[in-house]
Amino acid sequence: MFSLLIAGLLGAAAGGVGAPSSPANAALPPFTVGYEPSTVDERGIWMEADERERRLGDSKLTVRDEALNRYLKDVLCRTVGQERCRGVRIYVFDVPAFNANMAPNGTMVVWSGTLLRVQNEAELAAILAHEFAHFELRHSLKGYKQQRRASDFAAWVAVLGVLVNTNTSGLQESLLGSTFQFSREQEEAADRLGFQYLAAANYPTVAASQLWRHIMAESDATAIGHGRKPKQRYNAGFFDTHPTDLRRAEYLAEESKKIGDSGRDARIESLRTAVASHLPGWLDAQIKLNDFGGTEYLLQQLASQGGWTGELLFRRGELYRLRGNPRDIVSSVQFYREALAAGYAQPALRRNLGMSLLRSGQKTDAQAELREYLRLAPEANDTKAIQALLTQ
Amino acid sequence: MGAKFIGVVCAAIVVLAFSNAPATAQEKTGAKTGFTLKPGTARIILMRPTIRVGSQSTGGMSEPNADWTALAKEYIGKALADAQTKLGNEVVGYDEGLSGEGPITSQYGNLFSAVADSVIEYQFFPGNRLPTKKRSKEFEWGVGPGLNQLQSLKNADYALFINTRDDYGSTGRKVLQLFAAMGGVSVTSGVHIGYAGLIDLKTGELVWLNADRQMGGDVRTPDGAVKRVRQLLEGFPGRAPDQLAVVN
Repeated sequence: MFSLLIAGLLGAAAGGVGAPSSPANAALPPFTVGYEPSTVDERGIWMEADERERRLGDSKLTVRDEALNRYLKDVLCRTVGQERCRGVRIYVFDVPAFNANMAPNGTMVVWSGTLLRVQNEAELAAILAHEFAHFELRHSLKGYKQQRRASDFAAWVAVLGVLVNTNTSGLQESLLGSTFQFSREQEEAADRLGFQYLAAANYPTVAASQLWRHIMAESDATAIGHGRKPKQRYNAGFFDTHPTDLRRAEYLAEESKKIGDSGRDARIESLRTAVASHLPGWLDAQIKLNDFGGTEYLLQQLASQGGWTGELLFRRGELYRLRGNPRDIVSSVQFYREALAAGYAQPALRRNLGMSLLRSGQKTDAQAELREYLRLAPEANDTKAIQALLTQ
Repeated sequence: MGAKFIGVVCAAIVVLAFSNAPATAQEKTGAKTGFTLKPGTARIILMRPTIRVGSQSTGGMSEPNADWTALAKEYIGKALADAQTKLGNEVVGYDEGLSGEGPITSQYGNLFSAVADSVIEYQFFPGNRLPTKKRSKEFEWGVGPGLNQLQSLKNADYALFINTRDDYGSTGRKVLQLFAAMGGVSVTSGVHIGYAGLIDLKTGELVWLNADRQMGGDVRTPDGAVKRVRQLLEGFPGRAPDQLAVVN
């Protein structure tokens, strides 16, 4: 009898797990202003999303910069249209990594590391449009239902397997795999819908694939910096929630070739202006990640757009000084001096230049810089430590 | 997202592991050594309670339910208001007022939850205690002294935090439990966790914590909510023993 049950459930799984859910409550799109979810499941996940949004609003990591938030909202509205963008609230979250996510209730979270990495407004628009597509397509709800179906079914398989003394681990594993497969399919669907918005908004759609090229180049640089072999795969692994970067870059490039719109304006300047005041802080956070290769790549990319500014040169000096090989210390001295020449005037530069000089054996020069630091920042909290260094 | 996916689906499988170990002796209440609170001497602020109600799917996934949560918020709120007058000390709800301290107090709420989880994990389960604390009867936990800087809490002595989380076992889960029992496999149905804690606002110390991972009382009904609140406030310091009967 139990074998029959398992067989029956297997049949149900073939049709049930991974199948698209019924379009109940799809009368109104979720971005409609004043939209109220009506099914138990959708109301439940909206409630949780509301609670998380409340926490987001209270969090110290949320970047509270009206101008930046307005810029992001403008880019989203320009990309997906005024009517659609109204149902979305964008939060910038101060995390030095590349990520963005979308909640079912219209909360969009963009990590600061993402804003550090996008090279023009079109790339940013590609990300915002991708996240918006998750919202419009109700991916959270569908993913939630799929996970429930798969885990319900896996539980029955496990229990019935015990009752009839049959090993079901293979079937359970494939159920687990179905959840990740489903997630990857959602990501690709969001990529494709987002791409259409990007095209309709008159951005160069090639930006969508270029974004993934930069991300791959950075992760290769990170790998090399850590002494690993860089490797980009085309096929996703069993536990991957997203298609691989390489695959995304390729199918998005394929699409944009069809359009042939690379001559459109990617709007580099407007992005640079919007993030300018935050760039130093975001770079400082990036430098602390102990990712020499990736950070050097990012600095090079930023410099290739706006040249080596004092801000960038100072961070490059920091990056080298913190890695701390003898040759790095020598390089950091050079970068600090170039930053000075480029007009970087923060006192910390004098202190750190002094430390690098001290470590490379140039005591006289080091003391001159440290004294200059004390003169520029007499109230700094490390004054005593620096004075101790000077009297040695 | 990845970790969440793995967690959810694996939960379905892991839950089915044979677990016939008897429930170990677990403590449910702790108070700072020597802590006493005389009735009528203190002013206590009740922070916004964290309440979440859902159901548990067959596979063990938590399914949030907005309607049940709204009901529970209403009923628990009422039950708390009734109980407040019977706690032996003045208890008032938190009001941010014009202080603009909502975000920081809600962060203290998060911190309280994290500390309470640690107390449950590492103090109430004696088997989990650190080797140096194995036999210690001390109850030394806190959220740091920063609370005494907050204007919106200035006129109070203690803050009372309350968290509850319920997932009612779905029919599918209960049927699964039945079948699993036939095979000698233990499957739990339903999650009912609640805790209440009292923080000394002057020092930030956790002076009392009452926690239970198997709470009673169906919070979706008025009577159940009253029962839940009574359990949450069991052993509340400063309350005369005879007043327990009154709350009943």
